[in-house]
Order: sequence, then structure tokens, then C-alpha cells
Amino acid sequence: MVRQGWLPVILAMVLAAAVLLGNQSLQLGLDLRGGHQLSARVLSPEPQVVLTAADLDGVKSVIQRRIDGLGLAQTRIQTVGSDRVVVQLPTVQPTPGEDAEAEATVDDTLQQAANQITKKAVLQFGVLRSSEVDRYTTLVQERRNAQVAVLLGEQQLEQLQRSRGDGEQRRAVRETLGASRTTLDQLEQDIGQLFDLRPLTGDDLVQAVAEPNLESQGEYYQLSLTFSAAGGQAFADLTKEVAADANLRLAILLDGHAISEPTVGPEFRENGITGGGARITGTFTLEEARELEVQLRGGSLPYETEIVEQRSVGATLGSDNVRRSLSAALVGLALVSGLMVLIYRLPGLVAVAALAIYALFNLAIYALVPVVLTLPGIAGLILSFGMAVDANVLIFERIREELRSGRKLYQAVETGFSRAFSSILDGSVTTLISCLALGYLGSGLVRGFAITLGIGVSLSLFTSLVCSRTLLKTSLFLYPALRRLKYFQPVQ
Amino acid sequence: MTSSETVPTPPEIPSAPASEAAGPSGTFTGFQASRYRRVLLLLSAMMVVASLLGFLVNGRDPQIRAPLQAGLDFRGGTSIQMELACHDPGPCTTSERLRLPVLRSVLADVQLEPAGDQQPAPALSSFNVQLLDDGEGILLRSTALTIAQAQAIEDHLATAESLPPFQREHTQVDTIGPSLGAQLLRSALRALGVAFLGVAVYIAFRFSPLNAALALGALVHDVVIVAGLFAWLGQVWDVQVGSLFAVALLTLAGYSVNDTVVVFDRIRETDRLQPQLGVIARIDHSIAASLVRSLNTSITTELPILALAVFSGGELRWFAVALAFGIAVGTYSSLFVAPLLLGLLKKDTA
Repeated sequence: MVRQGWLPVILAMVLAAAVLLGNQSLQLGLDLRGGHQLSARVLSPEPQVVLTAADLDGVKSVIQRRIDGLGLAQTRIQTVGSDRVVVQLPTVQPTPGEDAEAEATVDDTLQQAANQITKKAVLQFGVLRSSEVDRYTTLVQERRNAQVAVLLGEQQLEQLQRSRGDGEQRRAVRETLGASRTTLDQLEQDIGQLFDLRPLTGDDLVQAVAEPNLESQGEYYQLSLTFSAAGGQAFADLTKEVAADANLRLAILLDGHAISEPTVGPEFRENGITGGGARITGTFTLEEARELEVQLRGGSLPYETEIVEQRSVGATLGSDNVRRSLSAALVGLALVSGLMVLIYRLPGLVAVAALAIYALFNLAIYALVPVVLTLPGIAGLILSFGMAVDANVLIFERIREELRSGRKLYQAVETGFSRAFSSILDGSVTTLISCLALGYLGSGLVRGFAITLGIGVSLSLFTSLVCSRTLLKTSLFLYPALRRLKYFQPVQ
Repeated sequence: MTSSETVPTPPEIPSAPASEAAGPSGTFTGFQASRYRRVLLLLSAMMVVASLLGFLVNGRDPQIRAPLQAGLDFRGGTSIQMELACHDPGPCTTSERLRLPVLRSVLADVQLEPAGDQQPAPALSSFNVQLLDDGEGILLRSTALTIAQAQAIEDHLATAESLPPFQREHTQVDTIGPSLGAQLLRSALRALGVAFLGVAVYIAFRFSPLNAALALGALVHDVVIVAGLFAWLGQVWDVQVGSLFAVALLTLAGYSVNDTVVVFDRIRETDRLQPQLGVIARIDHSIAASLVRSLNTSITTELPILALAVFSGGELRWFAVALAFGIAVGTYSSLFVAPLLLGLLKKDTA
């Protein structure tokens, strides 16, 4: 009649959970370990086109390659919902003494990552239309003026900032600079329009490397491209076509902007430039060249993206959050345990043991699934402590009622458990319905909470119905001294 | 053993005498909740009216224009939270603490790059600046900023000579684009709707449509009152509601219905075991029998939540407040609102 069969099972599970937790660490979310999170929304080219999961995965893998290309450790990239890609970058815990330096690199990382996520980086090659040669010359002159204006503006602004100059003047310079940048951007696109595209794109690349441009004495950087076999052939054809006419030019376009428009010397009239390689020169700084290198290596993004969410949590703020939520969990656990023993005595003590097993199993499941723990997730866990003992409260109240109506102890325990079952089940199912709705429809933070609460409620069914029952009955069976009414209810 | 509380007659022993408290005339002599029906229902009505009033006041407030003050999550925007270096371990001396006028003058000096051709940088005068922890921290809220803009502000504050040093590893920056905010709000509302519906269907299936309607009514009662509290908190202390508040409401939905179901379950059992009692007496009896259990469960659930409220800060603390208050209201409505209304309606139909 004593269901002792469960006891070894429970003990084995406790042991397994403890071993599992000893070998596998819990995964902490951004808010607990510190770091940056960027969410990008992938925009479909036309409103009526719906992105498929495969489209989204395509974007994710390009972003993955690019973020990996930045050489950051422990990044995490996932798709969320139907149109979002989330990138997490943990901060490196700064060692004391080099705080300022570490912080600076972190800030750069965030902006670099954002550029990698949003820049399509479609590389194209085109040939100048012979009818547009004059227009090209005009636009190039305008572009040169705009470049100079931007350069001057930047220098002016830097000077004003260094001398902490007057705010009004800075604002004016900043506005002019902004206007020059817009003009330059527009001109680069206008120039790109003068070229007819040829069947050679970034997809034909096998390698892209940023390196110093020797002709500029290392002031600027260039990109060396290596084409695939087919790409090399296309490039040879292209250069052959351009070499045929001294007025013609070849343009390298990035996202529709002309970034370099070289001529091709007459010596290539016969075969074009063969060898499967090319260089993009221009006025790249080291950072710009590196960025482009990573983008070209990662491949171009098939869709436009925009950053819709950025969350940054300081590194020590994260560990602070861990400390505080741990304190809350432990204090919560202690308070509940104390109250249970105070009110329910021996069964209360059993409920506390069941609660400890419950907490252990919860953590083991987090490690096993794995569940990424976040702050709302821990809140869900803490809340579920209360709900886990709820089942025990129902059962113990029932046992007391049975005792009051004159039942024998053993019978009262048995009836208490079986009578409370239907309320416990109904209560758990209604909570689980809420969790399912939250987990299915909710976003990041919300889902974390729903998952931990849902796991908790399901587990509490097991710990309260099976563990408490087995422990209580086993202790009564093994220790006859415990079979006294005063251990179950206040003496009247 | 004499007790004023009653015990259902166990079905296994049909010969057992009927409970002492159940009088021969079909009355129940324990704690009779139905006696206080008017007061209890009036109390509920007053809380609901106060909540609706809070929604109305917020809706007419030109700064809010909604029943509740939507937070960053739902509206989109940027929040930057920074702490002074002296805050940890703290406390800061009076001279080290931040003061709003100084902070505003420092901020007025920040210049932001425009986000793009068509998007000029937001004016810094439009920022909402709040001091945290008596001036040991700062919370800035604005429309959505770009990464560069948010970093420019953070850098400017951290390097300003007129401000005490900040602890930069304790900085938290959150930006939600307006489109994502609208999406989050939609999904939160949808989750609430689906959860309510799911729970109603389950109860209608397990009990009856009347029970389902009442459990749902009690649930709406709880949700409205908790939202009402936050409407007033928004008015008085500028408290905003975000995703976590929606989570609190959903948890509450599960909890409140759970609690109501336990009482309904008891009523069903009493109906079966003590049919000699009148409808009202059976319900009174079930309420009295569930009272201790409901209070004990509420207390054991409230304790860890209070621990959470004490140990956490910011949004999570308001989350704990919403839950703590909600569970109190939920326990009250499960014990008194739903069963008493059930008594009224059952009597009418009987």
C-alpha cells in the first residue's frame, strides 16, 4: 500500500539532476551576463511578398558569417518570429586598470556589428555608357568638390570639439557637414546610374582581403579580390570591352554607389585582365576596408534590414542582477519553507524537502534543454515556488479536514492526496494555458518568463503529487514515532 | 472534536452523520460569506469604478492619451540608465549626488548627428530626465535614437567635467524602434486575449458555461483593478507599463482562475455530497472550507514575490508590485466575487 516504488526513482532523479548541474553550466541571458543585443527586422522588397523561414535563415547565415568575421567571441545569432534576426554580443569583463580602453573597444564593436547587420553590400560591376562620357566627367568634378567639402567639414568640427568651441558655431558646421555628406552620397549613386551592369557580382568572389595601398604610401587601404573561375572569365570579358575604347570606364558599385571607376589600359585589348583577380582602390581607411572585407566575405544580404531594437547591459550590471535575483530566490525559498513548517508541521517539512527537489529539478531542466536564463525568467521561477507549494497546501488542508472528521492518520493522508488531485490539476492546466499563450505569442523577455513558469508548474505536479506523497508515507512507514496527530495539526 | 468548520461527508461512508454545522433546515452555520454579500460586492464595484476613473484621467491627460502610460516596449524609444561610481557600494555624499539643473545644462550641450537624410536628431529638450536613487543615478528617456546618438549622449555625460564620475559598466541602454513597439503591444494584447479565451473554454468544459463566465468575470475584475492601480501610479509617479506588466497580468490571469477553480471545485463537491443544503448554504460552506487554503496559498505565493520586490530594482520591482497586488485582489475575487455571484445567479435560475 505504501508506494515505495517511487522512492528509488526519486532518489535516482535527484542524483542525476545533481550530476547534470555539476557538469553543465546554466546559460545566462544578456541581462545577466552583460552585453549588447541588436534585433534587425528583415524588410521584404514589396509589401505583398511574405518572407519565408528559408529567406530569414538566408539572412541569418549571412549575418552569422559577417559577425564571425569580426572575430568576436561567444556571439549568439537567432531568428525570432517571422521577420527578425537577433544578434547578441557579450561584453568582455574589463580587468581593473584598463577600464577605459576596454570600454572603448566595446563601443566600437557595437557600431561595427550594426554596420554588418544593415549593410547589404551588393557588389556589382558595370561599364560606362559611351553616351554618358561627358556627364560622367561633370559628375566626377562635382563629386570631388563634395569630397573636399566633407573632408574640410570634418576637420573643422574636430578642431571645434577639441577647443570646446561655442555650441552655435559647432551646430552650424555640423549642419553643413551633414548636407555635404548627403550630396556626396547622391552623387555616388548618380554616377553609378551611368553604368550598364555586367554579369559579375559579389557572389563570384572567393576571397576579399584588405591591405595597404602602396601607391598612397600606406595612407589608404585597398581590397584585393579573387574571383571564381567563372567570375575570372567574366572579369576578363569586361575589361576587354572597356580596354577597346579609351573613353570607357569600368565601375565597381557597392549598393548602387560607384566606389571606384578605373580605366583599362590598351594592352588588355586582346584578352582583358586575366588571372582572376582585381583590386578596389579608393580612399578607404583601414576600418572601412576591413568592414568591406568582412561584408564581401560574408556575402551580400538578400534583403534590406533595419535595426529595430538595441539593448546594452553593462558587464558588472549583469553580475549585479545575478546576485540580486539569487538573493531574492533564496530569501523567497526560505520564507516559504519557514511558513510551511510553521503551519503544517511534519507535512510542511516534507513539503520543504519536495520544494528543494523541485528547485533542483528546475535548474537541471534549464541546463538540459537548455533554457537561457533571463531576469524575467528567474522571476517566473521565484513565482513558481509559491505555486509549487500551493498543491501541498491544498493536500495538507484536506488531510487536516479528514483528520477532523475522525479518520485514521494513514487513511486521512491517502484521502487528502486523492481528494485534492482534481483542484490541483485544474489549477495547473489554467496556468499552463496562460504560459502557452505567452510563450507562443510573446517576445524575448516574455517568452523567458513563460518558459520557466511553464516548466515550473508542470514539475510541481510531479513534486507535490509524487514526491511529497512518497516522502510523507515513507517517513510514516519507517518511523512509527512520527505517527502522532500533534505532528499534523495544532493540539486543541 | 468540535469545530465550527464543516466537513463534507466522505462518500465511502454513507452512514456517517451529516456535518454538525449543517442544520436540519438546510442552513449552514459556519462563516457565512453571503451575509456580507452587499458590502463585498460594493467594495469590488468601488475598486472597479476607481480603476475606470484612472483610465479616464490618463486618457484625458494630453501627455498620455491612453488608459495606461505605455512604456518603451510598447511605444518605441530609447532609455539610457547610468549610475554614479559612488553608488556602488554607496551611498554617495550629498555633494556627489546629481542635481537636475546641472544635468540639464550638461545635456543641453550635447550635439547629435542626424540619423539619416530625412531624420533629424531629436531635440535634447524633448528628453525626459529622471534622477534615480536620490541622485545616484539617472534615467533618460527619448524617442528612438541610433546607436551612435545614444553613445554620444553616454560619452558626453561620462566625460562631462561638471558631473561626478559614472560607473560605465553599470550603464544600461535600451532602444526599441516604433514599429517593433507597436508589434510588441499587438502580441501582448493577443496573448492576453488568447489566454482568456483558452481558460474560459477549459472551465466551460470542466464545469459549466456559467462557471466559465463567472471565472472570466472575476479575472477581468482583477485585471481591471490591477491596471487601474497602475493607471494611478502612472499619473502620480510616472510609472510606465511595458512587456513585463503584460506578463504580470497574464500570470495573474492564470493564478486568479486557478484560485477560482479551486473554490468552484469545492462547490461542485459540496453540491454532490450535501444536496440537503440550499444553494446559498452550499456556497457559503464551500467558501468557508476553502478560506484557510486560499489564504495560506496566497501568503506562500506572496512571500517570494515580496522578496523579489525587495531585491530587484526598476521595471522588475514594479512587476513584483503588480503581481503582489494582483494576487491579493485575485484571492479576494476568487473567494467572494465569483462564488457569491454564482449563488445569486443559480438562485435566480433555480
